[in-house]
Amino acid sequence: MKLLEHEAKNILKEYGIKVPAGVLIRSAEELIPHLSSLGDRIVLKAQVDVGGRGKAGGILMAERETAVKTADALFRKEINGLHVREILAEQHLPIQHEYYLSITIDRSSRQPLILFADAGGVDIEITAKERPEAIRKVYAPPLMRDIPPFMLRELAGSAPKEIIPVINKLYRVFCEKDALLAEINPLVTTPQGVYAADAKIIVDDNALPRQGIKMNRDLTSREREAEQYGFSYVELSGSIGVIGNGAGLTMATLDLIEHYGGKAANFLDVGGGAESERVMHAVQLVARLPSVRVIVVNLLGGITRCDEVARGIIAAGIPQKVIVRLAGTNEAEGRRLLTEKGYEMLDTMDLVVQRAVEVAV
Amino acid sequence: MIYGDRNTGILVQGATGKQGEFHIGLMNAYARQVGGKGVVAGVTPGKGGQQVHGVPVYNTVREAMREHEVTASVIFVPAAAASDSIMEEAHAGIECIVAITEHIPVHDTLKALAYAKMQGSIVIGPNCPGLLSPGECNMGIMPAQLATRGHVGVISRSGTLTYEVVDELTRAGIGQSTIVGIGGDPLIGQTFLDVLHRFEEDSETRAVVLIGEVGGTLEEEGAAATDLPVVAYIAGITAPPEKRMGHAGAIVEGSAGDARSKIEHLQSLGIPVAKRPSEIPTLIQGML
Repeated sequence: MKLLEHEAKNILKEYGIKVPAGVLIRSAEELIPHLSSLGDRIVLKAQVDVGGRGKAGGILMAERETAVKTADALFRKEINGLHVREILAEQHLPIQHEYYLSITIDRSSRQPLILFADAGGVDIEITAKERPEAIRKVYAPPLMRDIPPFMLRELAGSAPKEIIPVINKLYRVFCEKDALLAEINPLVTTPQGVYAADAKIIVDDNALPRQGIKMNRDLTSREREAEQYGFSYVELSGSIGVIGNGAGLTMATLDLIEHYGGKAANFLDVGGGAESERVMHAVQLVARLPSVRVIVVNLLGGITRCDEVARGIIAAGIPQKVIVRLAGTNEAEGRRLLTEKGYEMLDTMDLVVQRAVEVAV
Repeated sequence: MIYGDRNTGILVQGATGKQGEFHIGLMNAYARQVGGKGVVAGVTPGKGGQQVHGVPVYNTVREAMREHEVTASVIFVPAAAASDSIMEEAHAGIECIVAITEHIPVHDTLKALAYAKMQGSIVIGPNCPGLLSPGECNMGIMPAQLATRGHVGVISRSGTLTYEVVDELTRAGIGQSTIVGIGGDPLIGQTFLDVLHRFEEDSETRAVVLIGEVGGTLEEEGAAATDLPVVAYIAGITAPPEKRMGHAGAIVEGSAGDARSKIEHLQSLGIPVAKRPSEIPTLIQGML
């Protein structure tokens, strides 16, 4: 889960990394008592989870006199379709130089990967293309609490030495907060020291319980329900609902729909051992997507009991057509139950998807 | 076949749990069918002295290894303790550790994999269905009845999609040497590269089916480093960016790991990429 900027900055502060003086406001009026402490120029940053937030108009600069008015305007905006509910109002930093710092886990070497670049404030992928020599990288040894000092020196290069402790502090954040990504872009030098002008932290979903972190965005009612039943669920925009078991098989079903000229409405992986009640909830959930005209159920596996699945589909009792492909234990019984109620069953993934595309158009 | 055969003695951690018990039953039914050793010992702390399907259960891996010859293990321990199980087994000297458990925090996996490497153990998974060498051994949760012995190696990040492909291969009369589910997590022990190198050393394996998905670049890295004939399939061509598609590792981050770039990269290496899973048997047939 990606933390919002102000949440990420609070963590950095906790670890001794300087962040600009700032205040989180939920209305323009809330800014008034803080105007004097934030300085002559104020940066207003919408707390929405949007990539390219600055370009989308989510970051505005204001003089102290006009800051409340500007904040009010920002609260009325939609940034890439998202309402602005919170704004982080910050002091404007006298920036001398901008750097880039990030830590991720490298899948290939199975080690933490630290990237530091002399060019900050721009997307690292752009720097990688245009000025690859500006990026330095180091793989940290996974079983140590800190990055060895020689590696830190190698990363920082000719950058001011005040940068070095910041790199290791971010590494502690990365390890102790179960981060998949910890990024400061830009990391800036000012006459008052080194500051994290922006911050991005993605916390491992599997570690949210032990980190005591709750989901920071409002789920739709369908997403909440999917979470409650333990389904992996993603909404898309097409007219063919999809229910599968296993992430790979479900993704392959989605791809096959596109291959045959249709568009999937969702991704739903019911997981292993799908018993009738779970299947019923999955079918009802997908049927509630307004765009869904037909649902494909593609379940396969040694321990999936086809009669259970069939009962779940029948119990769901939804108005849309359900087309089923089932393979596993008690296949004949599942087939009998579904055929009796007039459901269409087909033998292969290709056939079931082709039929659904026919029905959807 | 790779990683194990009918002489491999298997230890199961989390033996007395629902999953552990169920799959010890299946693994040993398969072992009886093919004349293999199968699961010889179970471990669950505090449950030493019990039996599961006739398999003795011990409190620690060390204790079990004093009584039995064990070279491989399968882990069904819940996520919070699974990385500890990996380390306990590596510490005890088990060569091949298969971690079935899903939802292990990545930082736990990071440390467990580093420790296992230090101890000279290899890890398959986590978040994987394990591996199956038809006619030899079943180390995990794959439905063995779908597979048949032959000369095609299968490597996959997925579970059910692997069963789908294995079923298609078997129906087309194409047998498999070993089927390895390497896991759907972003951080896994054995990657495509490692398994491909094993298949290169295996006299039975003549061609390999590589089943990948969005996220990371492990498919391309593996395929680029082998001279075995390979057919690939990549799931997730319709996966929207920045969304996790069921597997923790199945996510397109920035421009990295999307299906189209993977497919193009594989094709540039001269590897045929199936558009649909059902195309795989025809493509692989041409290579045998």
